[in-house]
Amino acid sequence: MTRRLTAALIAATTLTLALAACGTAPATPTADPTPPAGTNVAANTGEHNDNDVMFLQMMVNHHEQGVEMARIAAEKAGSDQLKTLAAAVVATQTDEVTTMKSWLTSWGKADSADTDINLHADHGGLPATSDEEIESLRSAAGADFDTTFLALFTGHQHNAVEMAKTEAAEGVNPDAKALAKSIDESRTAQIQLMLQISAAVPAA
Amino acid sequence: MRRTLTTSLLALGTVAGSLVIASPASAHGYISSPPSRQANCASGAVKDCGAIQYEPQSVEGPKGLTSCDADIPGFAALDEDSRNWPATDVGKSTTFNWVLTARHKTTTWQYFVGNKKIAEFNDNGAQPAATVRHQVDLSAYSGRTKVLAVWNIADTPMAFYNCVDLNVGGGGGSTTPVNPAPSPSQTSAAPVQPPATSPSPSASATTSAPATGGGNTGGGGATTWKSWTAYKTGDKVTFDGVTYECRQGHTTLPGWEPPIVLALWLPIK
Repeated sequence: MTRRLTAALIAATTLTLALAACGTAPATPTADPTPPAGTNVAANTGEHNDNDVMFLQMMVNHHEQGVEMARIAAEKAGSDQLKTLAAAVVATQTDEVTTMKSWLTSWGKADSADTDINLHADHGGLPATSDEEIESLRSAAGADFDTTFLALFTGHQHNAVEMAKTEAAEGVNPDAKALAKSIDESRTAQIQLMLQISAAVPAA
Repeated sequence: MRRTLTTSLLALGTVAGSLVIASPASAHGYISSPPSRQANCASGAVKDCGAIQYEPQSVEGPKGLTSCDADIPGFAALDEDSRNWPATDVGKSTTFNWVLTARHKTTTWQYFVGNKKIAEFNDNGAQPAATVRHQVDLSAYSGRTKVLAVWNIADTPMAFYNCVDLNVGGGGGSTTPVNPAPSPSQTSAAPVQPPATSPSPSASATTSAPATGGGNTGGGGATTWKSWTAYKTGDKVTFDGVTYECRQGHTTLPGWEPPIVLALWLPIK
């Protein structure tokens, strides 16, 4: 009974978010029309400290860059395995951005990080991925695209793991720490997958 | 006079800049393809490597070392030539691709075989480009060859070390238990697993080809969710007593359990 209620609530939330997303999200280049929404955006009422805030703000920026890169790969990658991974990254990280922004807003904080890179040196640094790097991805073509994306995105997800480990050590908010744990695990696994794909790309 | 002032200001700027940039933990990098030893550990192609599995980007030591592990005791596995390191088949030259987690200002990128430096790329202290790759001539070598690649950082005394095992002139004869020719099939990216040094099944975070979770579309038969499994849209799984339907095909990963990634899984009952 309780479980059924919970499931129903989750389903209802999913539907609402999905409908909301249809109105505002830009058309995704992927063939899959599944709306990229449906996370459990529940109130985050636990206590939090500055590290939680910094982690979420930095991760919002990091994720938005990652989604931008993955969107390009979901369209342009030559490897089917890479395309599939990139599309799943777009869906999951888009959801996580929604969740993180909602927590920050409910805490009365800005919902992304100041992009002055020097401010974040003590927190592991802002992600290494820059506009310049994303531009190099847009201009890469053919076999060169997969190689470029794999190098950039593997580094990008290493940054995410480092930020998540910092949160695990210094944050106090249970939901933020749970998110950090899943980011640590899933990005470590993505790196593993991408290194396997890299090893199979024919040497130039 | 004016030049002196400019130079001093530049020097100040350099110092200030390096203080900021040198401190983050993310100031690292390694060679991803052909896979370095640390990449083979992180991908699961070689097991039981120890801590390096989780931080292949961290093989950092003082400049001038000649070891694969930067003389870091915790990474000693990298320097054990007796391990069955997979060697990648390459032609008479190959391109080394780097993964960078911070684009450190760089003096040089050096490649050695034995004591001989076979290539050097001088960045003159500049920040590397968005992606770094170097084509290196290997025509003086054939068969199994261990290349030591070194990234020398400009604004610290440190360097990053990688050993890359190659089979130069590939294909013929030598023992190269890795990298079958890629085929367009979906599982082509999974490297052949070299003989594990121990049969321990403990490493749940390693994989070869993803299993396929398909075949249960439509009908009732949901299977239990498993990591490292390829599911397609419409597949049904159970996790913690809840049934989910796959919203978007993907290979499942640890940390991507259905209740966490509802973008990929729709709870249906």
